[in-house]
Amino acid sequence: MIIMAEKTAQQKSWGVSYGEMVRREFAKNKLNVVSLVLIIILFALAVFAPFLANDKPFMIRLDGKLIFPLFASLKASDYSILLAAAIGIWQLILIRRNRRNIEPSIRGHVLSRQLLINASILVAGSVLLYVFVPRRLDATGYRELISSGRASDAIFAPIPYGYARTELEVREQPPGKEHWLGTDDVGSDVLCRLIYGSRISLSVGFVAVGISSLVGIAIGSVLGYFGGKVDFIGMRFVEIMMAIPVFFLIITIVAYWERSLFNIMIIIGLTTWTGNARFIRAEFFKLRNQDFVQAAVSLGLPLRSILFRHMLPNGVAPVLVNATFGIAGAIFIEAALSFLGFGVAPPTPSWGQMLSLGVSTTGRFLWWLTLFPGVAIFLTVLAYNLVGEGLRDAIDPRLRKAA
Amino acid sequence: MIPTLLGITIMVFAISRIAPGDPFSIAMGPGGQLDAERFADFREQQKKLHGLDKPLPIQYLIWLKRVVTFNFGDSIKHHRPVIELIKERLPITLTLNLIAFVIIYTVSIPTGMLAAVRHKRFFDQFSSVIVFMLWSLPAMLVGQLLIGYFCGPAFVSWFPPAGLSSNQADTLPFFPWLTDRLWHLVLPVICLTYSGFAYLTKQVRAGMLESLRADYVRTARAKGLSNMTVIFRHAFRNSIIPVITIMATLLPAMLGGSVIIERIFSIPGMGMLAFEAVTTRDYNVVMAVATIAGLMNLVGLLFGDIAYAVADPRVSFESNV
Repeated sequence: MIIMAEKTAQQKSWGVSYGEMVRREFAKNKLNVVSLVLIIILFALAVFAPFLANDKPFMIRLDGKLIFPLFASLKASDYSILLAAAIGIWQLILIRRNRRNIEPSIRGHVLSRQLLINASILVAGSVLLYVFVPRRLDATGYRELISSGRASDAIFAPIPYGYARTELEVREQPPGKEHWLGTDDVGSDVLCRLIYGSRISLSVGFVAVGISSLVGIAIGSVLGYFGGKVDFIGMRFVEIMMAIPVFFLIITIVAYWERSLFNIMIIIGLTTWTGNARFIRAEFFKLRNQDFVQAAVSLGLPLRSILFRHMLPNGVAPVLVNATFGIAGAIFIEAALSFLGFGVAPPTPSWGQMLSLGVSTTGRFLWWLTLFPGVAIFLTVLAYNLVGEGLRDAIDPRLRKAA
Repeated sequence: MIPTLLGITIMVFAISRIAPGDPFSIAMGPGGQLDAERFADFREQQKKLHGLDKPLPIQYLIWLKRVVTFNFGDSIKHHRPVIELIKERLPITLTLNLIAFVIIYTVSIPTGMLAAVRHKRFFDQFSSVIVFMLWSLPAMLVGQLLIGYFCGPAFVSWFPPAGLSSNQADTLPFFPWLTDRLWHLVLPVICLTYSGFAYLTKQVRAGMLESLRADYVRTARAKGLSNMTVIFRHAFRNSIIPVITIMATLLPAMLGGSVIIERIFSIPGMGMLAFEAVTTRDYNVVMAVATIAGLMNLVGLLFGDIAYAVADPRVSFESNV
């Protein structure tokens, strides 16, 4: 069904799509582009963390035999993150190609098929990885082996420390040659933990916002489409959700639930969907009486199709913008929870937990444990907020006219 | 109002009941102090004691009765009635937030207006950058840096690092006591203020920009009114309305933020109470604090609605309730 076009002749007659217009408007502001680049760098750090900071060498000659401990120590989760990144990049390339080769009217169908295929590859691949990659624990002290002369020819990662290392003799050291950003209360390298911490932040950000967007869209679309009694009852529920301040609501739930990364993602997702629901509801109110929706209804299309195929693509823009701010918010909430000690359990590195070590229990102030994790949170949140702001300006037609 | 209040109680109740396991398993569970058989006995006994063996609707009604009579039971940690604790802690948080609230509104309305009036000139761009940075700055970072550099040996010690008053401040006469209290409040209030300030300034600027572009402003200018009159009487009056509704989003954010700030500065307010209750799994306190926070939020919204009606003559409560 893919219509391949003769490129040069037809490309111009396609005109500029809505997405293209938003993209151009977004790219006009250099700050937006810079923050997008910052987000991409953070992603790269999260994906390649084991290759940037690892206490196992890429390659080492042990008792005359050449071995590759770093690759052998990678877990299934590391591999699936790499796989996800590869598929993500491939999808971006596909989208770029679609823009050149495929007629706008069927681009949506092609895109959804590609997304489906890639998502299934990702799921299948991850399952295979979890089944076939053995769980290994390598606690060999490779640097001690080198200093004792048993091993040689080692190539280490740029930061040759693991994130769960405890070396009490080097605890609470300020930044120096050995540890570029200092060490924490148990002697772990701060830079290393920062890099691994970006994984927690990004995954919490994206999964929590994914959940909150899906719940918000599902509830908001039903309320907006049906209106009347359904809307009245639903909105009372939304109001109740909004009545308890989100952070209080979250720590209330945290008090009862076990504190794991997974639970925190779900809790943040399930408590922050109200904004999305209200946006979608408002959009659907506007769309409900439009001709194309009336046409879809009179054709007897199923509700699922009317809501999600016809109406949603026309009303999803505010939710996309809100999602970008939502990622920033979720990262913020995760950091705050970890700061208070309600986050993931150590030694799993999290920025908020690292930050809380900045003022030690003895009252000593360790500036490197305050500044670096804090700035990491700040820059990440700032980048997402800037992108969200840029997206909103690009999408808002009122501002486009004014400019 | 009342249905929402009921809803809050249902929600808090639901959270406490949907959670996997029960408080006793967490307190005494596998690896805890009791072996399996005696633990089962103990659990039954405790369930009966706390009324957890009754059907859920009955349990809810019992809980509702406790909410209505403000009898939230005893705190496990403090061995005192929860409501007493809240009575002690609530005024502290309210004072902190009210001071911050007043500062936010008095500073950000002029800043936002000026930024809008000077649209795309130096002040606008400068303040926009500052505001955006402040908006994304985590309070944990700011709080700890302030404590680190202004309260200790690292740089200068101008302010006390923790608490609400110095030792034996109660014995002081009123004015020294007040200065002591304010001296302790400076840093927490800074932390509580800046992000709200950033958010509100952005909104004021956006609202002002929109009304400055509106037709009635052009009309006012065409009538030959002075610039000041146009800005204050025509544009400002109309852009203030969304600013009032923002109270509804600002208040819960500030209440939530006070958990972190009270923790950093060791201020014994509601936020600190919530923090302690969650760490020690003091369930009576957790449920009470969540309910009270919801209640306070509702009261804030009510004030917002009233202010809205005062500011906007088109809104009235009589016509359509």
